[in-house]
Amino acid sequence: MLEEKSIEMEKYQPEIDYNYFVAAAVIAARLDQATTIAKQLSLTASNARAVALRAGERAAGFRPLTDFIDRLAEITITASKKINLLAATLSKTSAAKVRSDNAIKHFILVFTKAAESPYINSLNEVFERCKINQEQLTREYQRQIEQLSEELIMLSSELRNAVILATLSRVEASQAGAEYQDALINVADNVEGAAGKIKAHIKYSQQLVSTLK
Amino acid sequence: MKTHKLFENNTHTWLMFGRDEEKATEIIDTNQYMVISKNNALLMDPGGIELFSAMLAAVIKQVPAEKITHLFASHQDPDIISSLGLWDQALPSATLHSPWIWEGFIRHFGMDNITYAPIADEGGEIKIDNVVLEYIPAHYLHSSGNFNVYDREAKILMSGDIGAALEATNAPMFVDDFEEHITKMKMFHQRWMPSNEAKNDWVNRVRKLDVEMLCPQHGRIFKGEKVKLFLDWFEALEVGLTGKNLT
Repeated sequence: MLEEKSIEMEKYQPEIDYNYFVAAAVIAARLDQATTIAKQLSLTASNARAVALRAGERAAGFRPLTDFIDRLAEITITASKKINLLAATLSKTSAAKVRSDNAIKHFILVFTKAAESPYINSLNEVFERCKINQEQLTREYQRQIEQLSEELIMLSSELRNAVILATLSRVEASQAGAEYQDALINVADNVEGAAGKIKAHIKYSQQLVSTLK
Repeated sequence: MKTHKLFENNTHTWLMFGRDEEKATEIIDTNQYMVISKNNALLMDPGGIELFSAMLAAVIKQVPAEKITHLFASHQDPDIISSLGLWDQALPSATLHSPWIWEGFIRHFGMDNITYAPIADEGGEIKIDNVVLEYIPAHYLHSSGNFNVYDREAKILMSGDIGAALEATNAPMFVDDFEEHITKMKMFHQRWMPSNEAKNDWVNRVRKLDVEMLCPQHGRIFKGEKVKLFLDWFEALEVGLTGKNLT
């Protein structure tokens, strides 16, 4: 089911064909959406806790699972925020890199156009400084991409627990009796659905990150 | 990009850069001006991003980069100063002189290194080595915060958009047939300039100056008697018109 949702979401993804500085901004936006979904997951955990309490002893096995749902939501929110911040920083570095690359391009053109100028060497220092700046930005850019990549892998592996959590929730829901069963199965569906959507955003972001490397 | 010497004496030189044949046809042609004194140079309305490499290549043929210590932007338009982000890397120690009201806007073009020197509404002056240049208020012509630069010694008034004409890149440097030239500048002044009051205020101010050359940012330069012809024509012109009212 999780896989199906991911595939379904992928159908609506636009083709990955961004400039690198736009791609970084798209990743930030995707992770922002993931944070919103994770907040909904947290609401699901509160709802599940209320249903389990009303169900009393019949849902005794479900109550500890609500803590896990909460933890999953918390981890996802924290990680999404962190990745979002990383992507936003990467977007800023990318924009600075574009400006720096652009300046270098312009200076090279000036060296060609004014090659015979007696003062052309007065631009050497400026050009060297721009090159150093460009190299620093490139290093920073690569480091931020690596960091972003690692964080996305970590969050993705955390979300694998969501499948187990949903399965366990369904098992426990079946013990809760007819009155509460549907509500608790709905909680399991919500967990699975939210995790699926977040995973789709992460997968898309990972694809974009791979184009940046 | 052509370079034309407008004035030279023992203290300073005025150069005009323009008629860039390599520029894209969709981009309006612009005139850039530079005053070179003993140890410094002031580059006025340095132009848009598209023009930067041609402009720097032209400038560097005249002076070493470190000599360009001052930039002037008459107002905030992209054809005036959108190249700022690149000049900021080329001339990190330079100072940009521009109307105070535009500082927060002009910085959007990218300004990490250059220093912003705001010009007060009433104008003022800048001294480069021993050369004194005056900022003449030209607000609402067309920008709401706008200055001309006047050189009393050279009798040159860099008038920004005032006197501008829309014409081909191969146009001559100076106005010859004034009546014919009106056809190239009338609509621009009627449509771009918003206020008759501001216009007449400026005309009165400039009539008190001794101007031998009136140098706009687009089109040809007015020289000698053409300066008075322009002031008379501009004074009589109704501005702030759109659509059917344009004549």
